[in-house]
Amino acid sequence: MYLNGEFRFGDARERVLRALQELRERGFAARDVDVFSNEPLEIPRDVLERRSHMSFAAVTGAVLFCVLIIGFVSFTQYSYPLITGGMPLFSFWATGVVFYEITMLGAILTTFCWFLKEAGLLRRGRPPAPDVEPGMICIRVRCRIEQSVAAQKSLEAAGATNIQSSGDAR
Amino acid sequence: MATLPAISSDEGIRRDLWRPLAGASSRYLIVLCVLSAVALWGLVAWGYQLYRGIGVAGIRRPVFWGFYLVDFVFWIGISHAGTLISAILRLTDAGWRKPVTRAAEAITVFALMIGGLFPIIHLGRAWLFFWLFPYPNSRLLWPNVRSPLMWDVTAISTYLTGSTIYLFLPLIPDVAQLAKRATGWRRRMYRMLSLGWTGSDREWNALESAMKLMAGIILAVAVSVHTVVAWDFSMAVAPMWHSSIFGPYFVVGAIFSGIAALLIVMALIRKTMHLEEYLTPHHFNNLAKLLLLMSLLWLYFTVAENLTAWYGNEPKEMNVFGARIRGNFGPYFWVMVLCNFVVPFVLLGIRKLRNILTATIASITVLIGMWLERFLIVVPTLSYGRLAATWGRYTPTWVEISITVATFASMGVLYLVFAKLFPIIAIWEFETQSEHED
Repeated sequence: MYLNGEFRFGDARERVLRALQELRERGFAARDVDVFSNEPLEIPRDVLERRSHMSFAAVTGAVLFCVLIIGFVSFTQYSYPLITGGMPLFSFWATGVVFYEITMLGAILTTFCWFLKEAGLLRRGRPPAPDVEPGMICIRVRCRIEQSVAAQKSLEAAGATNIQSSGDAR
Repeated sequence: MATLPAISSDEGIRRDLWRPLAGASSRYLIVLCVLSAVALWGLVAWGYQLYRGIGVAGIRRPVFWGFYLVDFVFWIGISHAGTLISAILRLTDAGWRKPVTRAAEAITVFALMIGGLFPIIHLGRAWLFFWLFPYPNSRLLWPNVRSPLMWDVTAISTYLTGSTIYLFLPLIPDVAQLAKRATGWRRRMYRMLSLGWTGSDREWNALESAMKLMAGIILAVAVSVHTVVAWDFSMAVAPMWHSSIFGPYFVVGAIFSGIAALLIVMALIRKTMHLEEYLTPHHFNNLAKLLLLMSLLWLYFTVAENLTAWYGNEPKEMNVFGARIRGNFGPYFWVMVLCNFVVPFVLLGIRKLRNILTATIASITVLIGMWLERFLIVVPTLSYGRLAATWGRYTPTWVEISITVATFASMGVLYLVFAKLFPIIAIWEFETQSEHED
C-alpha cells in the first residue's frame, strides 16, 4: 500500500526533511519513499540517496557508438575495391570528424534514454502519483499494512496534513 | 540594479508566464501572417529553382558558393546562441541565466533547422539529398566519409539532435504543469510531451543529472560543429581560406552572432509579452557585456587573420586581400568593421550609453556585420582564384535574395508559434531561483 502525506506553506521543506529522517530511522528504505514537488528539492544524500549511473551510461554509449562507427566506416571504405594508387582506403585523419560526431551522438542518445529510465518516465504500471499543487510537497511511502502506523506517525510528527492511503494492502 | 523581479509568489510567476499562451491578439496574428507570407514566398522561389534548375541562382563559374553557403554559415553561427550560452551559464551555475536559457535554446533549434536546409537547397537537385545517407546504392558505393560535406551532415545532425533534447528536457516539468490546466488539443499535446512526469524526486534528480551531462556534451559538440563548418573552407588550398585560425575564428564569430540574436529576441519578447519584470536590465547588461567581449575577440581574430595575410604578401592571397580591403568588396568590409566593432564598442563600451535599446541596436548591427563577414569569406576567394583567367563576379538573383529573406521570416514564424505553445521562460527554474538565489 502507499501512504501519502502533504506538506504546505512556510517551512514545508524543513518539515519534509524531518519526515524523511524519521522514516529512515524507522527502517523505511530510500527506494520505498518518494517526494513529489513542482520544483526540485535539495535533499541531503544521507537522508534520501538517489544514485545515478547516467555518466557511466553516457560514456558507455559514446564508446559503443564510436566502435560501431569505426567498424561501419572501415566496412564501407573496404567494401569496394577502389584503386587509389597506394593511398590508404581507410584513414583515421580524414574520418576523425565523423567518428567524433557519432561518438558524441552516442553519448547524447544514451543520456536521454538513461534519463527516461532513471526517472521512470514512460514506464507502464507506475503507482498512482499524488496531484501536487504549486507550493505543496508530498511524501509517498510504500509500506506493508503493518508498517503503515509507523509511517503515519512519522509523517504526522513532521506536520503532514491530509494523510491518505492508496493502492492494494499487502 | 535589481536582479530579482518584484514578484510575490509562485502563483504570480505562473500567471505571468502562462498569460502569453492564452489566445492570440490581432497584432500577433497580423505579424504571423506577414512573416508566413514572406516565408511562403521563399518556398515559391525555391520551387521555381527546383522547376527551372539551379541556373536561376546567381552561382556560376567560378563562384559556385554564393548566398546559400553564406546563409548556411550564418544560421549555423546563430545556432550557437542558445545551447552554447545556456550550457556555459548552466555549468558555471550563473543564477541570472534562468530567464534567458529557454529563449536561447529555442533559437538554436530553429536556426539549425533553417541552416541545415541550405546544403539541400544548394544541391540543386534537392530530391536526391538522400544520397548523403550511408546506404549502398546501385553501384555498391557508399558516401565518401572523407568529404567535409559528410562531416557537415554528421556534425549538424548530432548538434540538432542534442539541441532538441537539451531544449526538451527542461520543458518537461513545465508542460506537465500546463497539461493540468489546458483543455482540448493543447491538453493532449502537453500530456504526450510530459511523458508522464509526476514531479517525484527521482525525476528531478534524473533531470538534473541529464541536464548537467548534456550541457557538457553539447558544449563539445557546439564547438566542433562550427569548427567543421570552418574546415569546409580551410581544408581547401584556396587563397585566404587555407588558414589554421579558421576553426576558432568561426567559433568566436558564431558565439558573437548568437549572443546578438539572443539579445534581439529577448528585447522583442520582453516588450511584446510584457515580461519586463522577468527580463530585467540586469540580464541585458550581462549579455551586452558578453557581446562587447566577443566583439573585441572578433576584432582580434580578424586582425590576426588579415595581418598575417598582408605581411606574408603571397601574390595569390594578396589578390583576395586587396579585393576585400580596397577593391570591389571594400565597402562591405568596412561596413562589417563598423557593424561588428565600432558600433558595439561605442554603444556598449561606454557605460552611460549601455541600456536595453542600445544593446538591441548593437545586436542588429552585429547580425548585419556577421552576415557580411560570411559573405566576405565565401565570395571573394572564389571570385579571385589562383588563376587570373578564371576570375569572375557573383551577382545574386531574386531567387537567392527571396530565399535569404524568407529564412529570417521563417525564424520569426517558428519563434512566434513556439512562444504561443510553450512558456518562453522555464517556470520551475525561475521559481527555484526566486526562492534560493540572487
